[in-house]
Amino acid sequence: MKKDPRVVFGRCMMLGLAWTVLAFLVVPMAIVVPVSFTDQYFLSLPKEGLSLQHYAAFFEKDIWISATLDSLIVAIASTICALFLGTLCAIGCWRLASNRAEMVRTFMLTPIIVPTIVQALAMYRFWIDLGIMDTYFGLILAHTLIAVPYVVVTVSSSLANFDVRLEQASRNLGGSTSQTIRWVIVPSIMPGILSGALFAFTISFDEIVVALFITSRNVYTLPKRIWDGIQDHLDPTIASIATMLIAITLALLLTELWARQRQRAKRTARIDIGGE
Amino acid sequence: MPDGSNGTRSGHALSLRSLSKHYGSLAAVDNVDLDIPHGSFLTLLGPSGSGKTTILMSIAGFVEPSGGQILLDDTDITRRPPDKRNFGMVFQGYALFPHMTVAENIWFPLKVRGISKSAAGDKIRAALELVQLGHLADRYPSQLSGGQQQRVALARALVFEPDLLLLDEPLSALDKKLRADLQWELKSLHQRLGTTFIYVTHDQEEALSMSDEIVILRDGKIEQQGGPGLLYEKPATRFVADFLGKSNFLTGKITEITADGFAYDVGGHSLVQDGKPAASLHDTVLVALRPEKISLSPDRSQMPNALQGRISAFNYFGAAYHFQIQTEGLGEVIATVPAWTCAIDPTVGGEIWLGWEPNASVTVRES
Repeated sequence: MKKDPRVVFGRCMMLGLAWTVLAFLVVPMAIVVPVSFTDQYFLSLPKEGLSLQHYAAFFEKDIWISATLDSLIVAIASTICALFLGTLCAIGCWRLASNRAEMVRTFMLTPIIVPTIVQALAMYRFWIDLGIMDTYFGLILAHTLIAVPYVVVTVSSSLANFDVRLEQASRNLGGSTSQTIRWVIVPSIMPGILSGALFAFTISFDEIVVALFITSRNVYTLPKRIWDGIQDHLDPTIASIATMLIAITLALLLTELWARQRQRAKRTARIDIGGE
Repeated sequence: MPDGSNGTRSGHALSLRSLSKHYGSLAAVDNVDLDIPHGSFLTLLGPSGSGKTTILMSIAGFVEPSGGQILLDDTDITRRPPDKRNFGMVFQGYALFPHMTVAENIWFPLKVRGISKSAAGDKIRAALELVQLGHLADRYPSQLSGGQQQRVALARALVFEPDLLLLDEPLSALDKKLRADLQWELKSLHQRLGTTFIYVTHDQEEALSMSDEIVILRDGKIEQQGGPGLLYEKPATRFVADFLGKSNFLTGKITEITADGFAYDVGGHSLVQDGKPAASLHDTVLVALRPEKISLSPDRSQMPNALQGRISAFNYFGAAYHFQIQTEGLGEVIATVPAWTCAIDPTVGGEIWLGWEPNASVTVRES
């Protein structure tokens, strides 16, 4: 039977639109890959041939390495702090399950709602009074505050699927509150905690607005260094960094997909051999 | 440790003193007084919303009572947190920890008491043997069948020698045959361990087959309590007679009171009943009659209570026939007779006679 041309047309339109949107999202990012291999000394496509000099520059120049280290230190520390606080907050609200707990959870979302620039300005004023401008502590604290809501959200959604009877079972069997949290609740909501960690790390690692406001020379994160690099002279090292970040992100994503698939395969195998 | 060798070790006694739990204006549990003797197997039986689970959760410490006391061997434990009560509990749906193996699940109550896995090895093995699952120690709960998960939950709840074992509808998720097997197992486990079992169910067969004592709950109050035989044979109210097994209810007027019984009239039929009525002459009386205590015959029954009826429907269950019989005066009556001795021809529309002895039925209160 011949297909209705209107259906075929509609289908083509839909596919075309979808691919256009996808290309719109991906192509601008992909352009940094050829740019990173340029043989020129400014941001441009390769002219004579490919060159790895801008990758070499990243590893040879102290400013890039130290900026990367600063970013890692701040991101890891603020991730740990945000995970700890956010997970406890989510468990507490879940445990209380009252209107007041719901209010706290809603209130926790304000940092997501308030524009970052407003937040940065507020922190700038307050951090001066606290005397923690341009310190690791100051930036870690700021990034923790920004990341906590994301952890609360992801952990809360994990807790929504958590069987309350598991907690009761633990308590009944003699587990104290902290034993129950450590040995029963946290392992059960690990997926939520991990995606919260991913959020927290990513947010801190590419955060620039707050960093521009509350740091200057002492703490010099990678986004801020890139920003300054663009201001200075369009250094192609930026493109090589971007390419490496894309590669790392892709690798992480693929590992996560692979791990998830393996776990699913394992779980199915378990069900197969189960049964009396 | 629960190795089953020490059957003489007695469990603990539990008392509820005017226990209440209100949710807003609703009383889920309403002034319940109950004494559970040590070593007994007590069942809280009732329809959903009767308060049985709320009582169990109050005993476990997960529901804070609005009023009243819970006493364990005369010690007030009403405000004691659940992890300090030392009561084992088997949850509905088992509540096994999915990220731990069977052995780790059973180790858990010992782990929280500071016992290392190697030191707990013997106890874990003994608990697994107790429920015949020694070969599955390294499996995860998701690799087990429902019945096996149920046994693991039982082993986990018993491994730390709890003062009481609380069971919240533990068999409700299992199929019928497995449920029957586990009823035998639970009962024999109770006899071997001597631990006090408190069992919650809405299944009257489970309650009858396992318990030493049944408490029937209705709207947060105790309707009647007693041994399974007493409750089945002498239900005090229409609710109990209807909830525990099936009953026909005959509402009549007392026409005569004799030394050992009375006569009453139901829709023009004069019937006789043993025992003293709670009412006086010419008052209304309610009589409950179990379907299996009615005899069916093709001709007029020689029994003191006899009347004619017509079969409106019947079901065959292999072991028995269940009949619905339309009668004049009594309306529809249900009767159960063993299939292999069934004296009548089971055909819809067949005219038959019903008969029962004056001591077969029992007078009950309306509410």
